[in-house]
Amino acid sequence: MSDIDKLWLHQHLPGIQASQQADDLASYGSDWSRLREPAPAAVLFPQHQEQVAQIIDCANREGLALVPSGGRTGLSGGAIAADGELVLSLERMRQLDPVNHADASVRVEAGVVTASIQQQAERAGLFYGVDFAAAGSSQIGGNIATNAGGIRVLRYGLTRDQVLGLEAVSGKGELLQLNHGLIKNATGYDLRHLLIGSEGTLAVITAATLKLWPDPGERQVLLLAVDGHQALLPLFMAARQALRLSAFEFFTHDCVRHVCAHAGLPPPLEQAAGMYVLLECDAVSDEQVAALFEQLVEQQLVSDGVISQSRQHAQQLWQYRERISESIAAQRPYKNDIAVRIAAVPELLQQLDELIQRHYPAFEVLWYGHIGDGNIHMNVLKPDDLSPAAFKQQCELVNEQVFDCIQRLAGSISAEHGVGLLKQPWLQYSRTPVEIDIMRRIKSVLDPGGILNPGKLL
Amino acid sequence: MKILVLVKRVIDYNVRVRVKSDASGVETDGVKMSINPFDEIALEEALRLREAGHAEEVLVVSMGSEACQQQLRTALAMGADRAIHLATDDALQPLSAARVIKALIEREQPGIVLLGKQAIDNDNNQTGQMLAALWQRPQATNAAKVELADGSVRVTREVDDGLEVLELQLPAVITTDLRLNTPRFVKLPDIMKAKKKPLDVLAITELQADIDADAEQALQISDWQAPPKRGGGIKVDSVDALVAELKSRGLV
Ligand SMILES: Cc1cc2nc3c(=O)[nH]c(=O)nc-3n(C[C@H](O)[C@H](O)[C@H](O)COP(=O)(O)OP(=O)(O)OC[C@H]3O[C@@H](n4cnc5c(N)ncnc54)[C@H](O)[C@@H]3O)c2cc1C
Repeated sequence: MSDIDKLWLHQHLPGIQASQQADDLASYGSDWSRLREPAPAAVLFPQHQEQVAQIIDCANREGLALVPSGGRTGLSGGAIAADGELVLSLERMRQLDPVNHADASVRVEAGVVTASIQQQAERAGLFYGVDFAAAGSSQIGGNIATNAGGIRVLRYGLTRDQVLGLEAVSGKGELLQLNHGLIKNATGYDLRHLLIGSEGTLAVITAATLKLWPDPGERQVLLLAVDGHQALLPLFMAARQALRLSAFEFFTHDCVRHVCAHAGLPPPLEQAAGMYVLLECDAVSDEQVAALFEQLVEQQLVSDGVISQSRQHAQQLWQYRERISESIAAQRPYKNDIAVRIAAVPELLQQLDELIQRHYPAFEVLWYGHIGDGNIHMNVLKPDDLSPAAFKQQCELVNEQVFDCIQRLAGSISAEHGVGLLKQPWLQYSRTPVEIDIMRRIKSVLDPGGILNPGKLL
Repeated sequence: MKILVLVKRVIDYNVRVRVKSDASGVETDGVKMSINPFDEIALEEALRLREAGHAEEVLVVSMGSEACQQQLRTALAMGADRAIHLATDDALQPLSAARVIKALIEREQPGIVLLGKQAIDNDNNQTGQMLAALWQRPQATNAAKVELADGSVRVTREVDDGLEVLELQLPAVITTDLRLNTPRFVKLPDIMKAKKKPLDVLAITELQADIDADAEQALQISDWQAPPKRGGGIKVDSVDALVAELKSRGLV
């Protein structure tokens, strides 16, 4: 593939914008995980669906591998091109249509940045349901390909639940227009949902029609001091009963320590707690929230807490949760993004805690996550005296035991970050051999040449 | 010493403000209202001074309709000791507001009056200065640092060519700038406590402030308009095209 040069691109992919500049190859060939050294042959920037089809046809003809690429905020290496692939960036396909008021939906091309969908919705007095810390850089194509979740899943669902219509080109080069923005459509297999979460292995997503929600109105944020993980589940149940929740997140004090040091923020509470819950809910009266707080203190679930009184405060409180990931990024943490049923969360935390204490007492482990969805992010920080290679090796040993534990609880080894390269060796902990075989057969129908994201997921 | 803090109820800083369709004002129905951010900073500073032992009481005062009791409750939950709602349904000009506060000062005798350098609704930046003049006491505006010593206060201000340090005799008026401090969050246990703190309502007519009807008439708002919509940008393919485009618009 080393013979892909300017002339080759010009002859084989006429009219398609491309770059082979070293800095472009380095940045478009990698994602947030930086799992492998980027080494793509070229980066392609199609401008419409036909050009995507043209690239796919060429790849099939020439036997080349393609890596679909969005905002490259992925955490599992799904968008990494380390073996001379062609990166297919959707970045120049970023048409954002006006909101369709009657349908309460909006059609966006794959390269539209997630946060700008929210802005478009807000201008129309509506709301887009998916949000997370990388929304300012990630693209809707990448969100759909990973079925991104984020902080408001418990109210609005996953990216999957927002997609009313999907436009894509299969790995075979077929143009697909799926579900056309319909709410009801009982006409057989819903291929749209097959493509959502397929991590660029079945088709290249080119556009989507997304559902928009009514403006949620005023919301408040509470940050609560929690004594231990035994309190998390009863606290969640009490809060869900008393408030209209839109987020329920948790993080340990170590996370807060990193955020404060990194972002120069004051500690959120006077007295440090072992653990915190950040919850967001529809605005409540002082009486209501005071009564709830008293009840929670009585039940010894929380010991202290603060509440936002302005949007400014709400945003400031969110920073303690949203900036965790960036505050530890420099230490290249080993990330595990795991899920169990909500009811099994305390058991999972208990077991993992014991496991780490017993086998890896030297590791600093940061816990945080979307606990209201049963989703926990486990971040292991590298001890200074360990080489990166030895660290990775030890983390992978931990993985086996962590995943064993998850398998026993019938959980998922990747809740929302996808499988990509990172979790590919462990897929069997969450999917049976029969399921994996069916996935392979589906892949061979939609991408018979195996040109889309080879080596990822399966 | 008693510190009197003024808190104004304004549209939340993060709300996109909309002009009413009949151009008679801005939309406030169903819109999130909060304490003016500069006043919140003033309150935080007052609380810190009290916590450092420089004051015994922090009194918060808000002028306006009954709705501003909500902001007073928030201020009490943040830690103020007592609140007074100066009730009026009129939106007073800064001079009248200063006159009302001046009348209240005579009753309350505070050592320091702390307030925001401006309220983010009308951005007047006048009330503190007018109040100091009416009260005939020293003033330090746009405070970036406040240090108390016996009977006097040192205030650092960020000015164009560096830092200016003022030393004022008390009582005095101090208006706050953005960088003075970061206000605390309201603690949940304090919400209930705030319910039990005194919040007195006083009609401004009871204060016998000599509000000058002529002064109130002197400035009248005739019309409200949203800023013009920004036109979309265009993309050009080359530097030459950019230069040609700028020339054609007479910009170079
Ligand atoms: C600070 C931070 C916080 C995060 N928080 C969350 C969170 O809360 N929840 C969550 O779910 N994720 C989170 N993520 C992960 C990440 O942002 C999401 O996975 C996101 O959906 C990736 O979008 P992207 O555009 O960056 O995709 P990329 O990283 O570019 O790609 C991701 C995958 O999708 C494929 N792909 C991209 N575009 C297309 C397309 N058009 N067609 C087909 N396949 C495509 C790629 O090949 C790759 O396999 C976080 C990441 C960071 C850095």
